Amino acid sequence: MPVSDVRPPSLGLRLYSVWFRHMRVYTRNLISNGLPPLLEPVIFLVGIGIGLGRYIDAMDQLPYLVFLAGALPVTSAMFTASYECTFGTFVRLDFQKCYDGMIAAPVTVRDLFVGELLWAGSKGLFFSACVVLVMALFGALPIPMGLLAIPIGFLTGTMFGALSLLVTSFVRNINHFSFYFTGLLSPMFFFSGTVFPLDSLPRYLRPLAEILPLTHAVRLSRSLAVSRLSGALLWDFAFLVLVTVVTGHLAIRRLKRRIVV
Amino acid sequence: MPDPIIVFDDVHKSYRDVKAVDGISFDVAPSICFGLLGRNGAGKSTILRILYRKAERDRGPRGRVNVFGFDPERDELDIKSRTGVVPQDDNLDEELDVGQNLRVFARLYGMPRARAEARIAELLDFMELGEKVKAPIRALSGGMKRRLVIVRALLNEPRLLILDEPTTGLDPQVRHTIWDKLRQLKRGGLTIMLTTHYMEEAYQLCDDVLVVESGRAVLRGHPKALVAEHIEPFVLELTDAKLAPQVLARLAPDSARVEPAEESVRVYASDYDVLRALADGLPPGDHHLRPTTLEDVFLKATGRRLDARQ
Repeated sequence: MPVSDVRPPSLGLRLYSVWFRHMRVYTRNLISNGLPPLLEPVIFLVGIGIGLGRYIDAMDQLPYLVFLAGALPVTSAMFTASYECTFGTFVRLDFQKCYDGMIAAPVTVRDLFVGELLWAGSKGLFFSACVVLVMALFGALPIPMGLLAIPIGFLTGTMFGALSLLVTSFVRNINHFSFYFTGLLSPMFFFSGTVFPLDSLPRYLRPLAEILPLTHAVRLSRSLAVSRLSGALLWDFAFLVLVTVVTGHLAIRRLKRRIVV
Repeated sequence: MPDPIIVFDDVHKSYRDVKAVDGISFDVAPSICFGLLGRNGAGKSTILRILYRKAERDRGPRGRVNVFGFDPERDELDIKSRTGVVPQDDNLDEELDVGQNLRVFARLYGMPRARAEARIAELLDFMELGEKVKAPIRALSGGMKRRLVIVRALLNEPRLLILDEPTTGLDPQVRHTIWDKLRQLKRGGLTIMLTTHYMEEAYQLCDDVLVVESGRAVLRGHPKALVAEHIEPFVLELTDAKLAPQVLARLAPDSARVEPAEESVRVYASDYDVLRALADGLPPGDHHLRPTTLEDVFLKATGRRLDARQ
């Protein structure tokens, strides 16, 4: 083949190759990686839903179990994507020098991280699908509408992947991720309408909750699952996309400087 | 002369206040082995990284880089799809085994599966790793990892192979195996560009070398020609500097060149008999009379003392 005939792979193929690498690593330990996303919602359901739920009749006009089950698919997606794009990315970037190897193949730094975000989204999708499955088995989510929470898991995973990549681009010491998890993600879990409706927050805190990205993911997931459709959901959808694009763009620009020196 | 595969023209690259590459120009002819020599921090690796845009050269009116007719700043994918890279660190994917590492890379190169499998088997055999296809990366020795990285770099049938210190830290057996393989690849028409600290390696493999010092080119040519043109053919090494005064007192003026170092002295001369006469009567453990090598040329060109970047 003469040298002029060589064509670099298409964008789709490049992104798929990066995604494939992550999928290959993840599925190597299918049992240890595949069980927790199924077990966690069961534990949550039993511990909180059934235990605590007996003392709460209804929340936001929904049985408490259903109220919770509408949010758990996306919180699960949030945590898995955040781990993947903080600790996971940092180890690949700093300890394994995995990106340094990959960048010698015909992929750009942008391809590497867009592919990684698609993987974070896929993990989000897989985790929320597990949650929906478990919840449906326990009768906590109606089927088929509950299935709509699954694609929202993909969006949530991609968004928290992007946000986490941005955090990672600032981090030089792997221990510093605890600030992000304890300082941002844990409070977000409680103050995004996950375990209680935002109406219960003091009036002056509500605008703050509206800034939290998880708020919009939870609202989308729960509303779709319990068929409370309204035009306002389009705003929540736009919010997710906007946060993903903006933080993803900034993250890739900053991470590029750590790979292309 | 055929068109060069790589053109580097007045290229600059700075890191904060350090100029890693300070106006270097050279070109590389096809199907040769081109070697970059220089001490640690001289700018060798940076030059390689600029070729496949692992590093960005300084922007500005000056400076042009061309690989296969492409500029890495504009067409990095076109360059990378024709090039194999063996970086200084073996950055293999430790979460995957040998075969999976290669399959992931075959996908990155966009190779169809059947061709990838055939190529993987062929290259693992070529590099004598055929039995390791299912081995985890951690179970490989340093020499195996190095050979595997070379396999990875060859997957896509590249026209150019870039190697950053291919044999540093490896034992002589592995080093000679790698040299043999690189020679075979060159005979097959592959262009090879490498950096090395081993003058022996450059002498064995390279058809053209560039000596770099503090980001500048200081010497260029065929290794044999460099030894023939830039250094006297013989050297007497006195490994005990205390011997030097009595030996040098017997030296006729202008018959040799004396190069003192801290604990030793080297006397270079064109006439073997001059040095032979000097060496006569010295204790055998304290001197060594030998033909000069590329290492002598290198040290003459770049100096014997350590600099701050090392």
